Amino acid sequence: MQVVSIQVAFGFLLASLGLLAPLVLIASRTKRARAFAITLIVGSNVVGWFVAALCFWGESKLALTFSGFTPFPFALGLDRLSAFFLLLICTVAVPVAIFAVSYFDKHYGEQRRNWIWAFFSLFLLSMITVVTASTGFAFLVGWELMTLLSAGLILMEGDSAERRHNVFIYLLMMHAGAAAVVASFFLFLPYSHSLDFAGIRAASPVVPAGIRVLIFLLAFVGFGTKAGIIPLHLWLPRAHPIAPSPASALMSGVMLKTAVYGFVRFAFDFLGGGPSWFGYVVLVAGAVSGLLGVLYAIAEHDLKRLLAYHSVENIGIIYLGLGTSLVFLANHAPVLAALALIAALLHTLNHALFKSLLFLGAGAISNATHTVDLEELGGLQRRMPVTGTAFLIACCSIVGLPLFNGFISEWLTFRSFLAGSVLLNTKAQIVLPLMVGVLALIGGLAAACFVKVFGVAFLGRPRSSEAEHAVEAPLLMRGGMTMLAAACLLIGILPGVLLRPLASLTQVLIPGAGVPDETVSIARIIPWIAAIILGVTAITALTTRVQRMAPTWGCGLSQLTSRMQYTSTAFSKPIRFVFSSVYKPDRKLDKLPTDKPYFPVSISYRSVRTTSYEKALYRPFVDLIVSAAHQLRRLQTGNIQVYLLYIFLTLVALLTFLRFQR
Amino acid sequence: MTTVINVLQALILVLGAPLVSGIVSKIKAWIQRRQGASIWRPYIEIAKLFRKEDLVPPSASWVFRFAPKVLFGTTICAVAFVPVVHPSALLASRGDFFFLVYVLALGRFFLSLGALDGGSAFGGMGASREALVSTLAEAPFLLGLVAISILAAHADIAGMVMWTLQRNVFDISAVHILAFTSLAMVVLAETGRMPVDNPTTHLELTMIHEGMVLEYSGPSLALVEWASAVKLHALLALLISLFGPWGMASTVSVWGTGAALLLYLAKVTVLMILLALVESVVAKLRMYLVPDFLGVAAAVSALAVIFTTLVKG
Repeated sequence: MQVVSIQVAFGFLLASLGLLAPLVLIASRTKRARAFAITLIVGSNVVGWFVAALCFWGESKLALTFSGFTPFPFALGLDRLSAFFLLLICTVAVPVAIFAVSYFDKHYGEQRRNWIWAFFSLFLLSMITVVTASTGFAFLVGWELMTLLSAGLILMEGDSAERRHNVFIYLLMMHAGAAAVVASFFLFLPYSHSLDFAGIRAASPVVPAGIRVLIFLLAFVGFGTKAGIIPLHLWLPRAHPIAPSPASALMSGVMLKTAVYGFVRFAFDFLGGGPSWFGYVVLVAGAVSGLLGVLYAIAEHDLKRLLAYHSVENIGIIYLGLGTSLVFLANHAPVLAALALIAALLHTLNHALFKSLLFLGAGAISNATHTVDLEELGGLQRRMPVTGTAFLIACCSIVGLPLFNGFISEWLTFRSFLAGSVLLNTKAQIVLPLMVGVLALIGGLAAACFVKVFGVAFLGRPRSSEAEHAVEAPLLMRGGMTMLAAACLLIGILPGVLLRPLASLTQVLIPGAGVPDETVSIARIIPWIAAIILGVTAITALTTRVQRMAPTWGCGLSQLTSRMQYTSTAFSKPIRFVFSSVYKPDRKLDKLPTDKPYFPVSISYRSVRTTSYEKALYRPFVDLIVSAAHQLRRLQTGNIQVYLLYIFLTLVALLTFLRFQR
Repeated sequence: MTTVINVLQALILVLGAPLVSGIVSKIKAWIQRRQGASIWRPYIEIAKLFRKEDLVPPSASWVFRFAPKVLFGTTICAVAFVPVVHPSALLASRGDFFFLVYVLALGRFFLSLGALDGGSAFGGMGASREALVSTLAEAPFLLGLVAISILAAHADIAGMVMWTLQRNVFDISAVHILAFTSLAMVVLAETGRMPVDNPTTHLELTMIHEGMVLEYSGPSLALVEWASAVKLHALLALLISLFGPWGMASTVSVWGTGAALLLYLAKVTVLMILLALVESVVAKLRMYLVPDFLGVAAAVSALAVIFTTLVKG
């Protein structure tokens, strides 16, 4: 009975996102039809949340097959891992959709609004297909649709030349990544004879070691491109900031996570780990992405670009956990491998929550002030108290401060590094504990960055008249943000709710893994810490007396102006100075007229961050492809006889091939 | 009974903190051949500030008003992880050192935000510099503690202290020396002491912590001052309990605890004299030399972690 009702509910989710809502939106232009479609999208995601919750917290499983209708086997299913990611998608989708109702109403005309909602709905469906697919074909269909639909959402916002160039880079890199993913699926084919996940899993032990390495590396590169690990992150800071804010929230919060899902599916479920260098490769990629991601983020003052770089950083933290888990797996320490995997998966969910909240906050800011440039903001906390407080919760979460959800997963990652010291392998004994220092540095830099973001955007005095006249976001926007903020706090204070089912999830992926002690101990201590901090803070707040307004001390000047405050650029200057070797700033100072440098009429100063390593890495590759394309052009003569010759030669080649195959 | 001792330990750390600051200033005054203020002066100042009016800039939001309270709350919470006379503390056996470090980070995060909320240049300057110092101090802080916890095979502070307590004084390894060096450097940076920051200056070129709290007055300032004193005391007590716990009462008895308390006072006095000496002898580092100082601390702590593999085996 329960199985049937879950199947019906899941079918309803697919049907309403994939067919009903888009059809209604495209067919009818009335306001009522749109309201119906939006209700359907939100409602079906709530239903999807319950389906996922039943399969994640309970024991239910689900399988739906559509193979009768499709040329290749197409089936969807929910095991614990899929259920966890479905839960993630639905948890984020509901608040984002609620926020989007007001956001899209304000930003798009009647005509465009219906299309963007249709894309929104289909984009959600494609991501759900990816995480619930149980055949390679279904997975790849979802994977490709996800790329195309998100590109569509970006182009909805406009189609300037620059935007099209960025979308081009996005699509190019995504397809290169998708090619790697397809290849890693097909490498299983000679051994499993089908792309059914169950078949792949069963065939995995007979795959020879060399092919396993190839599959792992292709999956690492393919999913790494989507996840945005450095140096494959090039598209991320270009594509994410230019999408509409709710779409950015879904792309950063959810779409990147499907790559983590794919990587976990391949590395843990299909391959079941491998030699320990697999782990070190992932660990190094995580450390590099984490450090460089946060360093690039600090230098930004465009809020959405800054947040996009923080996605790179957080993917780095997730990969640190995954890499550690693979190292433990290779060293036959299943319980510790489970601990690191739980840390990575929990951070995946946490990042989905706070990053989508941050992007929604950026949307609310741009809605109120028409800019996301930090240098133009300031003083928004007093003007937008609810948005500001939700944004502050997200900032504390992403920094990984106690009482907020980011801390739980970072703490678990720290503890799994520390546990590396009990291994018998000297390399792991040294490398893993030292990673504590790397993660601490990442955390410290993230703290500096978000003090800057929140302090410059929301505190102090407004730096522009738009910021001065900003008003609080509309009800639905506030509602969406409050839901996400509440989720961040809930996980931060009561992590046990998620840690127990996550421990059972890892037991499926890692045979022989028990429940790590750390997952139990953190759930016990966090309420104590919360009680002490909140208790003492409340006591001091209750006992202090009334406060009186008095102007900020102006060093004797009568009137302080907002230009006297620290700006975002000024705030990050010491850190940029210390890490200047990373940025390699390209400075240019022009004084006019040039013959009188001490009496300039105009001075212009420009500082651009050069990305030398990106050029060094990508330029030869791009040059190679372009020259190969030039060579290929010779084939295309325009002469019909030559083309007939090609056809003839192909025919001969195929016939010979068939002759020798027999 | 243990709970009573644990609560008493926390009270010693919190209530004795202003005295520690007072004594350090007194010793510094003596080294500089001055009379110096009374060692009870910090108590009088805090009491005076609590009676004064609390001024708030008109542009400030609730973040400005709450920052000192959150700072105080988190500092009190951090105290619950630090043993003084008994190898235990309220939370020291339930949670590990990561909590201690990150609870302190939570308070610092809010104080930096409060500084930016004042809307003056000084607050931003202080917060920006504090961000640099604390960013770079976090890694050596954690790595130094990681080294000790690997040797002790315990991540909770109570377990680490207990392990050291069971060793002989002469069993101290290179790891301990390296970890102590890096943690001592980190404590100087974390508590805003020379050569990283000058707690007595109000000169805009040099101030870090003082720049952040410039806009606070009255009870809010009292909470900030008290919290920084508590932080200094708690970190000194942490150094003592990790690197010189001998003499702590491992069983619960009145005489043992009393003796341990006297020994603790002696040990903390030694550290205070050392701190005063460092502050009197060393000049404040230029802002951009602080990364080098903390870089040395990070390198030393990384060495400590690497050497654990040799010491353990």
